[in-house]
Amino acid sequence: MRLRRPVPYEELDHTADAGVIVHGRCKEEALARLVLAYADLVTGGAPVATGADRVVEVAPGDLAAVAVDVLRELLFRLETERWVPESCEVVHFDPQRGARLVIGSAPYDPVAHADGLVLKAVTLHAARFEPEGSGWVAAIVFDV
Amino acid sequence: MTLALRKLSRFVWEIPREGKMRVAGRLYVSESQLAALRADQALEQVVNVAHLPGIVGASLAMPDIHWGYGFPIGGVAAVDAESGAVSPGGVGYDINCGCRVITTQLHVDDLRNHLHAIVAKLFAAIPTGMGAGRAIPRLSPRELGELMTRGADWAVARGYGAGPDDAAHCEESGRLPGAEPDWVSQRALERGADQVGTLGSGNHFLEVQQVTEIYDPEAAAAFGLRTGEITLMIHSGSRGLGHQVCDETLHELSRVYARFGADYAALPDRQLACAPIGSELGQRYLGAMQAAASFAWANRQVMTGLAVRAVAEALGLPETELGARVLYDVCHNIAKFEEHVVDGQLRRVLVHRKGATRAFGPGDPRVPEAYRDVGQPVLIPGDMGRYSFVLAGSTGAMTETFGSSCHGAGRLLSRTAALKRARGRHIERELAARGIEVLAKGPRTLGEEMSEAYKDVEDVVDVIAGAGISRKVAKLVPLGVIKG
Repeated sequence: MRLRRPVPYEELDHTADAGVIVHGRCKEEALARLVLAYADLVTGGAPVATGADRVVEVAPGDLAAVAVDVLRELLFRLETERWVPESCEVVHFDPQRGARLVIGSAPYDPVAHADGLVLKAVTLHAARFEPEGSGWVAAIVFDV
Repeated sequence: MTLALRKLSRFVWEIPREGKMRVAGRLYVSESQLAALRADQALEQVVNVAHLPGIVGASLAMPDIHWGYGFPIGGVAAVDAESGAVSPGGVGYDINCGCRVITTQLHVDDLRNHLHAIVAKLFAAIPTGMGAGRAIPRLSPRELGELMTRGADWAVARGYGAGPDDAAHCEESGRLPGAEPDWVSQRALERGADQVGTLGSGNHFLEVQQVTEIYDPEAAAAFGLRTGEITLMIHSGSRGLGHQVCDETLHELSRVYARFGADYAALPDRQLACAPIGSELGQRYLGAMQAAASFAWANRQVMTGLAVRAVAEALGLPETELGARVLYDVCHNIAKFEEHVVDGQLRRVLVHRKGATRAFGPGDPRVPEAYRDVGQPVLIPGDMGRYSFVLAGSTGAMTETFGSSCHGAGRLLSRTAALKRARGRHIERELAARGIEVLAKGPRTLGEEMSEAYKDVEDVVDVIAGAGISRKVAKLVPLGVIKG
């Protein structure tokens, strides 16, 4: 299932930095929402054009660490390849295999996205990805 | 978390050692600052840092302390140089984020009619914000290697400078000798290759300022600060290259740090992940981190050259007529090997300063000769609507805080809270009404960075001065600001 922006998320009220909390019916949906919430932060919620699909794969680890690694990779690609996610499909996501995502990319536009946050890094501080009730919750803090 | 605090003096509080804390926590704050801190998670982070293997003295917090990740912002921790641990989180992602002040012989009256042009020229010359690059041509890996070895001097040699002694007027002369550029990854080089001479975003800025008050005439004379004269202040760091160095090390460390022993496994926050200083991973990080620190000095040095050129062009003057020179350049996100007296004995320690500034006192041989009689300049940026300060290091810092002081105002409001308060307002116009010209990439930055989002930096430096850690020398008031 491919998700597209906008997705529901909450902004964490961190004193110096920024963070998001997302919920999903399954862990894959929560991860996809996390990716698209990140895209919302860096573009300031501005619309993006649709571009080519890109594959992002990260190594195994606990779910929070894998989610952090997915966002780390996206941040690196934003700075070096200048694109942001427009849509996201989680192919697999578990501690044994890590994660594989197919992401619809859109060019980062410094003018249209000038209201976006400039994130320096994705932190492990207070990172969580866990079941909650009948669904899943994930929270990530970004260094700004 | 409810903490029992013990008042040691008017501005000094102790968090007594308990549980697995290896040392006590010590806070340099006023009563009112402490009251505000109780709603924050920063105090808990001071306690967490006290668990670091090899930490000596105390886990320290400066009056600008606020919630960070792992370490609090405004935290200082010294660990034994042999048996201690190095923590990338104790340096931060923006390695050698720092501040420099450039003095000029321009008077505020020389600028009044040119301020708009000056700010516009600065904004055009120094790229800001996300994706900012190409202030100077993209550097090859070989050039980056040379830059990370030579630091500020690399930029001076290429004509980016203010005066003849720019590099000598940087902490550590603008380079760390332990830099190992070969340990900086290809990914980090890729991020940094076109970012030399760029400002970044968030709380980074370049300001045109006016010296409005002198508190310590002797130190001000030594620093070349005179009332009414113009200064430039640059706040920036190691950009994507430094972020990547920290990010990659933390990524690697977070998976293995528990294997270094029970003390490491028991750390209360994964973001505090650390390695023994002597371990292969610890040494690799220290080499790369010091290379990134030298990158940051080169970055601020290139911006210095670009800024001096921009101001001269806006005024239609040759650069030499500005009388510009670097007063000093300090890092406030760093870990450095230094010697300090601990429990009456001189010890070599690795001092982590995460949002804290070195503040060596008078007579210290590590302070540039020109300032040795008065103590090193300690540069404390405030917010874009009020003022910043130049302080001088004191002997109190040497005995109490491993030669460390505060680093800025410290945030009061979260970014979301600041944006809510900015809704419906024109921060740019509000500043203009107060005679401050500002140019930023987007309105969000101005909302997040408005004055009310920060503590009053004067309250912060008054605590530092009251505790005998640094002396107030001069107040600098912004006239023009560029931000990411």
